[in-house]
Amino acid sequence: MSARAGLVAAALLAGVAGSAEACEAPAGFTARKRLASKDVVVMFRTVPEAIEIGRHFSVEAVVCATPPTQGLRVDARMPGHRHGMNYRPTVAATGPGRYVAQGMMFHMPGRWQLVFDVQRGGRTERLATDILLE
Amino acid sequence: MRARRLAAILTGTGLLAGATAIAQPVLDFAPAEVRRIRQHGPWPAPVARDPSNRVSGDARAVALGRRLFFEPRLSATGTIACATCHAPERAWTDGRRRGAGLAPLDRNTPSLLDAALHRWFAWDGRSDSLWSQGLKAILDPREMGASARHVAAVVGADPTLRCLYDRVHRPPPEADAEAVLVDVGKALAAFLETIRSGRTPFDEFRDALLRGDRRAAAAYPLAAQRGLRTFVGPGRCSVCHLGPQFTNGEFHDVGIPFLVAPGRVDGGRHEGIKRLRADRFNLLGPYNDDVIGAAATKTRHVEPQHANFGQFKTPSLRNVALTAPYMHDGRLATLRDVVRHYSQLDMERIHTHGEQLLRPLRLSEAEIDDLVAFLETLTDPRAASGPAPPAVPEACAGR
Repeated sequence: MSARAGLVAAALLAGVAGSAEACEAPAGFTARKRLASKDVVVMFRTVPEAIEIGRHFSVEAVVCATPPTQGLRVDARMPGHRHGMNYRPTVAATGPGRYVAQGMMFHMPGRWQLVFDVQRGGRTERLATDILLE
Repeated sequence: MRARRLAAILTGTGLLAGATAIAQPVLDFAPAEVRRIRQHGPWPAPVARDPSNRVSGDARAVALGRRLFFEPRLSATGTIACATCHAPERAWTDGRRRGAGLAPLDRNTPSLLDAALHRWFAWDGRSDSLWSQGLKAILDPREMGASARHVAAVVGADPTLRCLYDRVHRPPPEADAEAVLVDVGKALAAFLETIRSGRTPFDEFRDALLRGDRRAAAAYPLAAQRGLRTFVGPGRCSVCHLGPQFTNGEFHDVGIPFLVAPGRVDGGRHEGIKRLRADRFNLLGPYNDDVIGAAATKTRHVEPQHANFGQFKTPSLRNVALTAPYMHDGRLATLRDVVRHYSQLDMERIHTHGEQLLRPLRLSEAEIDDLVAFLETLTDPRAASGPAPPAVPEACAGR
């Protein structure tokens, strides 16, 4: 690899997993939603795209953070019912700043809160979003 | 009496042969109500082949499983068959408050109707496949009390069973008793997958409503329409009893005491998950035939939580009028008792650390009547008739 090509590759990598300001979705990744705080960006999509009640699904996430992310936890709750999922998802890193959470299931209609706990620099920052299932 | 009342209801909806439909008004359901009603169909729902069971959908396995289902020699004493507690003519249950095999059991016997659509099996979800649940009944000392060796010996010694078995499974019954036991469970499951309930007055109403056929919809009793409105609306019943099966397939604490006997409690789902994890026949074990591994996703990700204590599976409401008594311990004799339970819910009893979902419905007597009328229209008139006696395929007949 030439020095120029190496710089391009590094730049692309930084675009995926680098600072929150420079965060862009990698090619082919269409985010369902982008969540952001001052130092952290989480873009995610669900597989399959449409979440069905009572069907397992996965969450694929791209995380950009300053300082860089060291890990991610994904979970979901129904605050109105005061319960979470009946299944504990497992999160695996699939590349720099990229994760997949498997084993998710929403078992009831209503308002679910999808939660991302981003671990970085010895701290955990939480980003969350609501998903309404009828 | 119950059968006569149900027949009267079904006749009123014009579903039984020769019945004359009585035109009634159709309630003006709001779009949100129609959307919720729509979610309870279509019916029948398709059944996919079980990837964890290599003989799922195999007609030869169905024939073997059907024979085994009615075979009392599978039990240790030769007196208890699967059909003893899951009687076809009783909508595949036993009509008792609590089940009884070789000894009394703690829970009501669930119906096997549409069991192929379930995610978890038994009231506590101790099994993650239909075939492994059958094995538990065979091995449980209080149910059939058998062993793998006993089952293999029965299959190996009976010429008809042996013939049916050899058409489906390898190796022969003499090779490995545990493998034979699992093969028996998978053949039983192949048969159970064929036990499906048909269309109900509710299904006819739902479909008529969706296609805008008010004339056909008007055959549905007005009381049932009002009950349906409560069910999908203020009663919030469809939050858990959702979808075409009227269940989310998961577990909830609905305020039924879990004391089984003095000093002994039924831990429900909490205990079920522990038993599932300890089960060598679960989908994480060596007998899962699913090469992709997707079937075991639920098993891989389920973990006991504090709130699981005292939770039991949300049962399907299809054909519920045929499966009295009710709740996991059979303590409620009638559908009216069940609706009254939710109407007068004791919030003190609900687990304080559990979910905040239920609240007393405070229904009037007329509203209770309506909800019961609705539940009775979830009945397939043929669901309690059961199959013809097991036939032996020609290849194995006369042995």
